[in-house]
Amino acid sequence: MGKSALITGITGQDGSYLAELLLEKGYRVHGLVRRSSSFSTGRIDHLYKDIHDNPGLLLHYGDLTDGQALTNLVMSLEPDEIYNLGAQSHVRVSFDQPVYTLMTDGVGALNVLEAARILNQKKKVRVYQASSSEMYGAVLETPQTESTPFNPQSPYACAKVYAFFQTINYRRSYGLFGCNGILFNHESPRRGETFVTRKITRAATRIKLGLQKKLFLGNLDAKRDWGYAKDYVEAMWLMLQHNEPDDFVIATGKTYSIRDFLDLVFSKLELDWQKYVEIDPRYLRPAEVDLLLGDPSKANRVLGWSSKTSVEQLASIMVDHDLELAKREEHNQSFQS
Amino acid sequence: MRAVITGITGQDGSYLTDLLLAKGYEVHGIVRRSSTLQRPRLDQQFHDESIYGKRLFLHYSDLTDTTSLRRILHRIHPDEFYHLAGQSHVGLSFEIPESTCELTAMGTLRILEILRDLSPSPRFLHASSREIFGTPTCSPQNEETPVNPNSPYGAAKAFANQLVKIYRDSMGLFGCNAICYNHESPRRAENFVTRKITIAAARIKLGLQKELVLGNIDSARDWGSAPEFVEAMWRMLQQPAPKDYILATGTTHTVSEFMEYAFQHVGLDWKSYYRHDPRFQRPIEPQNLCGNAAKALEDLGWKHKTSLRELAAMMVDHDLERLKHHS
Repeated sequence: MGKSALITGITGQDGSYLAELLLEKGYRVHGLVRRSSSFSTGRIDHLYKDIHDNPGLLLHYGDLTDGQALTNLVMSLEPDEIYNLGAQSHVRVSFDQPVYTLMTDGVGALNVLEAARILNQKKKVRVYQASSSEMYGAVLETPQTESTPFNPQSPYACAKVYAFFQTINYRRSYGLFGCNGILFNHESPRRGETFVTRKITRAATRIKLGLQKKLFLGNLDAKRDWGYAKDYVEAMWLMLQHNEPDDFVIATGKTYSIRDFLDLVFSKLELDWQKYVEIDPRYLRPAEVDLLLGDPSKANRVLGWSSKTSVEQLASIMVDHDLELAKREEHNQSFQS
Repeated sequence: MRAVITGITGQDGSYLTDLLLAKGYEVHGIVRRSSTLQRPRLDQQFHDESIYGKRLFLHYSDLTDTTSLRRILHRIHPDEFYHLAGQSHVGLSFEIPESTCELTAMGTLRILEILRDLSPSPRFLHASSREIFGTPTCSPQNEETPVNPNSPYGAAKAFANQLVKIYRDSMGLFGCNAICYNHESPRRAENFVTRKITIAAARIKLGLQKELVLGNIDSARDWGSAPEFVEAMWRMLQQPAPKDYILATGTTHTVSEFMEYAFQHVGLDWKSYYRHDPRFQRPIEPQNLCGNAAKALEDLGWKHKTSLRELAAMMVDHDLERLKHHS
């Protein structure tokens, strides 16, 4: 195909699935990685080849808050597509780090748009902005569609709303091909372990093997529309192949509570979650989003995309993976004693 | 006693955590939020129920995030503050100079400003670096050697180093600069040359790698052992008065010598596997880097103990174990 793409947030869940997808399609993939003296590339290590072996994947050090370095990188790589997935992505944490979250998720997105705008004057580039269902917050209508007004309830959501409107602004003012993917919650075996679904599957499988005794959670009644991250990154790519830039809700169209997810996961392991789960107020949000339910009919109709994985299948995939992980941990423990 | 450590997930931070926990401290670490929960150097303590949540606590923040840093410090009120965090790769600082400055220079200023308003202020240890001397005209260097950096990393550290002095002299903060020469260990990050070499030696020995590609192998450094340096940092904060100290071994070795120690330890000849690549060469290569740690010996009773050959052997053994265990 001969196309190239730059992915910010390539070390994250979505970034790793997207990198795989684009490499399969023959893209040259560039990733932006923050420098740290600990390795952070666990999710993409299997894709990484030594630079002397002519790899399709290249990583570059940078930070969304370092606009100059980002622009320099974009101008030297001249990618055909940019996927801005990088962010401080944890809603609960954003209450403790509101300024940092805005600088990375809000101004960081602006830095990406600015870099793209400058490149666009020389060579056409398409930009995907990772928007979020959290922007709907205390939802003003159900289900949520592309025209539902936003009502953000966290510093994370406010930053994402800013980035959403800037993307549209750059589309209208500068003719930049920029798209917002309004993705509802999307999970996988690669989900970060402090996100509730993965926290649950990790805990349940460790409890099953006697490696953990309890699972502490926050609000069990919150309801979310959960999809499979691997299906969702396909939608991101489709948006940038479309003949015109637009914004799309990506969701399953169904909603479940945390309790429902606990039922699915623990029953698969033949355990009763009520025996192991305790509430810890530390995990409650200062302002909660009680329900999210997306309407993906525009994406179905215009992009031909639809979610392929039910929440039952999703829970199964994650439990199977984490059971393997727990077995390995159990083996390592016995090896050390 | 209560201590805060920035850079707790790094090499030095993890050894300092071991040291302070062993001395009965309550340790608080500042960590950046990431969706990858990889903190391999702290894994053991983090998963130990008798330690984490009881004597070791981690808090989300960032050197650029003043509001959350201030909130954390006002809540904890530490007795000691070890500031080890920053963008720590010199070669990389030529590619990302602005972030390096923002984190290493401005980050230190932000912390000093917050500590200044705490009552009482904690004792403060800043991880400074011999990079502040750049290419010094005299060798070895001591605490009075003029500051003359030749890398963006060095310039950022020089700024931070000088600020610590100013806050000490004009605002009465108990602040110390630990002017560290290179210090290595089995926990050193893989893209620092010593660890890159020991991993290569181990992988080549096990048939997992064919060659080792490096930049300038005549480059010379004063290499010490990280756990020993961290012990010195702690001693600096136990003194009656705050001072700056050079931490070094006082002898230099070239990269090729280190390669020889590492490869010899597994019975290989490095010359058969090494290949040069100019990509790994620095724009400016510092010369004559050798530290005089006499003041640390006199005041702190501290002297380095591990020779470079022993250090190389330790690191190679660790990497061999790790690779065998994983296969």
